[in-house]
Amino acid sequence: MATTPRALTYRGIPVWRHALIIRWVVQIVSALVAVTLVVWFFANIVGAIQERDIPAGFGFLSREYQTPIGEHFIPYESSDTFLYALLVAAINTVVVAILGVILATMLGVLIGVARLSGSWILSRLMLVYIEFFRNVPLLVQLLFWFFIVLTLPPVREGYVFFDRIYVNNAGISMPGPVGSSLASASAWLALAAVSVGLGVLVHRVLTWREDRTGRASYPLAAGITVAVACGAAAWLIVGSVVGEAPLVISSPEPYGRFGRIGGGFTIRAGLLILLIGLVIYTSAFVAEIVRAGIQSVGRGQTEASRALGLSGIDTLRHVTFPQALRVIIPPMISQYLNLTKNSSLGGAVGYTDLTNVAITMTQTAPAVSIFLLIMLAYLAMSLTWSLIGNLYNRHIRIVGG
Amino acid sequence: MVAGQGTTPTPAPVLPPRSEVGAVGWARANLFSSWYNSLLTVIASAAVVLGLWFGLNWVVLDAEWGVIETIGGRFIIGGYNTDQACPGNDCFWRPQAALLMTTALLGMLWVVAGGVVGRIAMAVAAAAALCAFLPYSMERMGLDVRLLLLANLPALGVGWALARYTPVGKPRWVLVTGVSVFLLTVVLLRGIPGVWGLQPVPTLYWGGLTLNLLLAVAGIALSLPLGIALALGRRSDLPIVKLLCVAFIEIFRGVPLITLLFASQHLVPLAFPEAFPRNSLFSAGVVITLFSAAYMAENIRGGLQSLHPGQAEAARALGLAGWQTTLLISLPQAIRNVIPTIVGQFISLFKDTSLVYIIGMVDMVEIGRTFILGNPEYRISTKEVFIFIALVFWAFTYGMSYASRRLEQRLGVGTR
Repeated sequence: MATTPRALTYRGIPVWRHALIIRWVVQIVSALVAVTLVVWFFANIVGAIQERDIPAGFGFLSREYQTPIGEHFIPYESSDTFLYALLVAAINTVVVAILGVILATMLGVLIGVARLSGSWILSRLMLVYIEFFRNVPLLVQLLFWFFIVLTLPPVREGYVFFDRIYVNNAGISMPGPVGSSLASASAWLALAAVSVGLGVLVHRVLTWREDRTGRASYPLAAGITVAVACGAAAWLIVGSVVGEAPLVISSPEPYGRFGRIGGGFTIRAGLLILLIGLVIYTSAFVAEIVRAGIQSVGRGQTEASRALGLSGIDTLRHVTFPQALRVIIPPMISQYLNLTKNSSLGGAVGYTDLTNVAITMTQTAPAVSIFLLIMLAYLAMSLTWSLIGNLYNRHIRIVGG
Repeated sequence: MVAGQGTTPTPAPVLPPRSEVGAVGWARANLFSSWYNSLLTVIASAAVVLGLWFGLNWVVLDAEWGVIETIGGRFIIGGYNTDQACPGNDCFWRPQAALLMTTALLGMLWVVAGGVVGRIAMAVAAAAALCAFLPYSMERMGLDVRLLLLANLPALGVGWALARYTPVGKPRWVLVTGVSVFLLTVVLLRGIPGVWGLQPVPTLYWGGLTLNLLLAVAGIALSLPLGIALALGRRSDLPIVKLLCVAFIEIFRGVPLITLLFASQHLVPLAFPEAFPRNSLFSAGVVITLFSAAYMAENIRGGLQSLHPGQAEAARALGLAGWQTTLLISLPQAIRNVIPTIVGQFISLFKDTSLVYIIGMVDMVEIGRTFILGNPEYRISTKEVFIFIALVFWAFTYGMSYASRRLEQRLGVGTR
């Protein structure tokens, strides 16, 4: 009797152990669970909205907001729409994020470099700064600064320095440039931008020449000279055409019965506190990133550069820092992202940032729609930071690496 | 053999010049190595001296620390033992019993983990016991309160002995005990209706440092496994699973926690059916956990990416299944590589628990803020209040980062 060949009785891998089938079952089940959850949430939300007659939709965006916004960098009236008010609030968040990122980077790099200083006591001092400020909740720090500013005298009895700078619990007012007329100011600003562009161009060309020929061409000095000269010429031309200087220095002055301060350049208390808090908090993280980045550059690099005769500062600038940058940028971008999101604490210190305005809006408009909008706004800001980070990363990556 | 015969006498070893060794040498190398370092040293020393002078002067002479005494126990338990929360004011023993359980648990952990955990356990028990001797009057801080605080020392010993001499000392059982202690703490604080002495206290009144710690412990314990799952999902080669994980991570990482917390307050009542618990504490815990898990996932993913693919390939070649490779080979190494960032995330989570004020919970920071706003006569002592809160938070977060550094040393990160 012939035995049946093995090949004929082999029925293949059982269904429940087949890799392809397992993969697809897992995927379909997880997709189904996710879709069911989302649909269930939305069905519940829609049901609740209809049942309890809660206002919904996005029709409110064209209604008047009718609520003042404390800080605004573009003109704003209470009669403006919800949509415009959201834009004002988003600009507030963007302004504080950009200022905060610039200042925190500067302070953080300084502290990170000082942390590696050859002076033991300076290094220890910076360690204390870093360990303290990054381990205490930002909210506690913000409230600390908030109540410090609150103890300043009110506007009427505020401090005045040099007859020009007013410091009180509403903020700091100081002399600042103001356009004498919109036309002349914008004309000069446009020409000044062109001058700066020319200066950059000259700098580029001379750097290129220096790199190619090896002849000293002083690109930085030449670029700055060109930019300043063109800017000054534009100033004179615009001034003579219009008949007055494009920008004048305006000094703050008290006016009215309540001694309010008008004119000049004012940093309001809310923005000031939020900036101080965010910058100090973030700079501690930035300093640690900078320190780790510099330490990641091999010791041999520094020693070789010193052996070639570069000074300590030049070594840091031309050898260590450019290489450290590759390690520094990715975590730095995530700190910038954190700073942007942390600015949502502005409400605790009286700054009308996006979250604060949104929370106020939920009293008169559908909360679901508002949260959807500001979530999209924050996601857009995060994506922008990621995009900048990725572009810069590509720019500084090791060529051929 | 005759010494010195036919050989030149060995020269006495040349010692380094006296300016290069000892205190002088150290100062030359670390304080005055160049003219600008000397300048920086002088400036920094001046800053330290001035800072200490004015700082100590303020701390000792000018600061009014009475405000801390006035707020007192409210910093720790918030409004838990007030008349509204607990008529009769006899609920104080419940948080204290929870503390006793925690100390006993720390005693057990001391035996299991040893090293730095032992020091932390002793510090916690000692700090609690020292609080028994706070110079309050007996009316304000009764003998029962003081004795319960002192009992933390024996509790530590009981936990230690249990783990040392009974089978409970196995890591598995300590884990089970830990989870039970947490759940018991929640039940104890919540109360059981109808049971004498355990009258229910609404979570609305839970507050102070207890609230921060409860949220942080729950968040840490849940966000780590969730973060690992999300990280594995993001690295999975199943496109739908990957897409879902990426979407979750990016949405939760892209939006501020404070916005998510406030949104939860508005959306949870709409998105869940009526029967679902409508509880600020619960939704705060869930939101903080999900938010932290998204960050944790990215940290763990970084650790997984730092592994050489050879590790997983070798495991597969040895015949380990896919899940065994992940659980036994990849994950342990990945997590070991990113201990500092994981602990950094725990620290962030603990700091972020201060944001629950936005949904009306009264944590330690909010206690300080509402006290200052409600009592204008203490407005002058604001600095003291927030410096005290900052130092309390700092003690916990610095403890965490210290423990993480010790753990790294013990696991030999970077050395093997």
